Amino acid sequence: MAENIVIDPVTRIEGHLRVECAVEGGVITDAWVSGGLYRGMETVLKGRQPADAFYVAQRICGVCPISHGHAATMSAESALNVTIPAGARLVRNLIEAGEFLHSHILWFYTLAALDYVDPAKALEADIAETYALAQAAGTSTANFGAVQAKVKALVEGGQLSIFTNGWLGHPGYAQDMPAELHLIAVAHYLEALEMQAEASRVIAIMGGKFPHFMTSVPGGTTWVPTEEKLDDVLFRLLRIRDWIKNTMIPDTLAIAPYYAGALEYGKGTGNFLAWGVFNSESMEMVDRYLPNGVIFSAQGLKVEDATPDKVLEYVEHSWYKSDSGLNPQEGKTQAVDTFPGYDVNAKYSWAKAPRYDGKAVEVGPLARMLVAYLRGVAPVKSIVDTALTALGAAGKPEVLVSLLGRVAARNLEAAVVADWAIEWVNELIAAAKEGGVEFYTPIEQNAGKGAGLWEAPRGALGHFMNVEGGLIANYQVVTPSTWDISPRDADGVRGAMEEALIGAPVLDVERPIEAARIARSFDP
Amino acid sequence: MAHEDRAFYDQLAERGVTRRGFLKFCGSVAAMLGLSETMAPTIAGAVEAAAGSKLYPAVWLNGGACTGCTESAAQSTYPDIAQIVLDILSLNYIETVMMATGEDADKALYQTAEANAGKFIMIYEGTVMTGLEGNTLRVAGKTGLQFIDEIAPKAAAVVAVGSCAVDGGWVKAAPNPAGGTGISMYLKEKGIATPVINLPTCPVNPEWIVAIVIDALLLGGIDENGKVTEGLVSKLDQFGRPSFIFGQTIHDNCPRRGHFENGEFVYQFGSPEEAKGYCLYPVGCKGPQTQTNCPIVRWNNQTSWCVESGAPCIGCGNFNWVDNGAPFLGRMRKIGIGSVGAQGGGWEPGVLGAIAGGAVVGALAVHGVGMKAAGRIGEGPATEPMKEYDAKRAKKGGGN
Repeated sequence: MAENIVIDPVTRIEGHLRVECAVEGGVITDAWVSGGLYRGMETVLKGRQPADAFYVAQRICGVCPISHGHAATMSAESALNVTIPAGARLVRNLIEAGEFLHSHILWFYTLAALDYVDPAKALEADIAETYALAQAAGTSTANFGAVQAKVKALVEGGQLSIFTNGWLGHPGYAQDMPAELHLIAVAHYLEALEMQAEASRVIAIMGGKFPHFMTSVPGGTTWVPTEEKLDDVLFRLLRIRDWIKNTMIPDTLAIAPYYAGALEYGKGTGNFLAWGVFNSESMEMVDRYLPNGVIFSAQGLKVEDATPDKVLEYVEHSWYKSDSGLNPQEGKTQAVDTFPGYDVNAKYSWAKAPRYDGKAVEVGPLARMLVAYLRGVAPVKSIVDTALTALGAAGKPEVLVSLLGRVAARNLEAAVVADWAIEWVNELIAAAKEGGVEFYTPIEQNAGKGAGLWEAPRGALGHFMNVEGGLIANYQVVTPSTWDISPRDADGVRGAMEEALIGAPVLDVERPIEAARIARSFDP
Repeated sequence: MAHEDRAFYDQLAERGVTRRGFLKFCGSVAAMLGLSETMAPTIAGAVEAAAGSKLYPAVWLNGGACTGCTESAAQSTYPDIAQIVLDILSLNYIETVMMATGEDADKALYQTAEANAGKFIMIYEGTVMTGLEGNTLRVAGKTGLQFIDEIAPKAAAVVAVGSCAVDGGWVKAAPNPAGGTGISMYLKEKGIATPVINLPTCPVNPEWIVAIVIDALLLGGIDENGKVTEGLVSKLDQFGRPSFIFGQTIHDNCPRRGHFENGEFVYQFGSPEEAKGYCLYPVGCKGPQTQTNCPIVRWNNQTSWCVESGAPCIGCGNFNWVDNGAPFLGRMRKIGIGSVGAQGGGWEPGVLGAIAGGAVVGALAVHGVGMKAAGRIGEGPATEPMKEYDAKRAKKGGGN
């Protein structure tokens, strides 16, 4: 007999999400994922100036405003036919990298870690053993005694603050993971708060502030680097990179073996899409540092070029009345006139159901890392191969198509992006010394259609802009979460997260930690 | 003088914060609160004392939000976010970072409101979503409005963080398809009398949350019975904004102000004038119409702020900032320095603030033919691409 369980709200994500699952014999047999919020960005932007899209559209997401801001600006540049100069390309890559680093650190420690690490268990750790274990695992040390005392005071004080009603002591935590490793992770959970803030400061130097930045304009950037500011960017990036390599990556590799079971479930559709991110000199999507590509893994791990022409959005199961099956360049987003209620057999989400070439696809770091791996991007290949060896799966990248793979891909990507960011700032320093580097090209055209196809840390992002008479005639956004939390489409085919939930174990139906883990692994 | 708590400073030191750095921060908070810098040790003492004493219960509700204000709060430095949620507040409900999930998370909210009725603060982030009877925001099988109806009446005070919470933000921009509004307007309409402290800008600056938390909770802005004191009320302007934060314009304190006085302007991004850090008024800066202390407090631990990065201020702390500010790169036709509402970049004057139960009503009368053609929607002051006089100067290379 199947039993329906509901997680609502799914916390520790950006936004409002509901996950409903049918569970039979301790395994999830069906799932429905619902986005809870409609704000109407596309309608608000109509009739405004193309340059204004940047300021407003980035406010779709407070965790990834940089990506939305860039995609909005790029959609104007694509519609109005302008290519940004070299200086602006590097500045944008750097600001975007700042956000990737910020977001990945925040995701792993602040949002996801509590699904794998139990602060209650950290109380049992022996301090001397903890130092020994940290050294053995090659991860950084902290004042473990003070951290343990802090957790103890909190628990004994009876005011648990953000840990109130958490599933402390849940049997779904790896029972054989040593208390000392829990304590190490809790200490780094606190340390990560400073590191995510440091990454935000990298953005603030070049973008004015974070969240929400100020310096991207169609044609380039308003930020003109000075030697002093570039030094500041470099210094902070080095600090972040060292922390990722000395703390975040070893933590990931130390914890992963205790959750090796998560290599067996949470696989999802096996279809992956990346528009690509971080432009190289050619400005072509396929030449990006993390390149464009689409993978249908049922046909083997092979990559093809991805094009927006193959995207259609369906709304049969979403609370919209506008036409279904439109390409976003001509898309419409009109909410229903009266709310029909939540019904998994009819309409049940504010997210649309985008499909690529008719298929539900997954987007995000796993998609990007697989595409880059298959396209032979050297630093990606090297770090993925090293991780696969550590997981005892050398030469088998297909094992990454799993819950654990999705988690690992994000953290590995952070290490690769940190290295590239340091390259870019050095390039910019060299260019600035040489002189003649440009940051802005004025726009002359006042009509056209275009798309800003880019990546947010959480996956492929598209902004689509049609301009007539110098004003926005139509605007559409397909966010990464729209792909990942997609409801069923016209044919009843499940979205990526819905599919990933199927087959996952549920130890305790009252506290389905495994389902929450899968939902969060998408960083929706 | 504050007593010196060694354990407290040891903890700070672990986070790379020196005692001197912490006291300097307390001095800047004192300045922000309109106090003399000699009050810095008092503030330091209050923050120190908070560590180890009972935490003040708080809940953080996300309405129609992008989560940018939660993110922004996480960028706070002294006290940092860990200190705020472990040493000062018992933040029992905050969807974005709380450990609990699903029904257990929802219970944490209702239990906190029940157990601490009248003695907890409700922080509200995001737009109040009224569209489709509130179904434009659904959480835990309820509408977002239900949460406000049930929790807000029990709170000692509501702190509205960010422009969306204050007046609906970009979501409310014309044609307001999802029915967005601000929390003080909504509470007024529902007859809920809980006082509201408004902290606009998009997102909220974390330093302002810190200033309010210190003022309201550590320096007695809310008394033991959960009542907002006269002392705190007297620091709010008629819009419920702390006047020590929102009492001066950006232009008043702008480091580029000297260039404005000298007639040295940026007319195009990427130009030599921009590299020289000239005034951004001709490329659309709304600094003269915008009242916040951004140039002083800056952002991300005083790393930078909008104008410092070469970007014109978009007035994100203004009433109805998208409709009143766009086109954001359009030069404001009149400058109207420092006059609240008079120019229209700001707020409708003469309206009682939320703290007194008032709502910001009405809109600005200044609009006219041609606004639609300029990408201006709704109502607000006029902008123009460039004055003829400026166009000539721009050709000459700008500046002096």
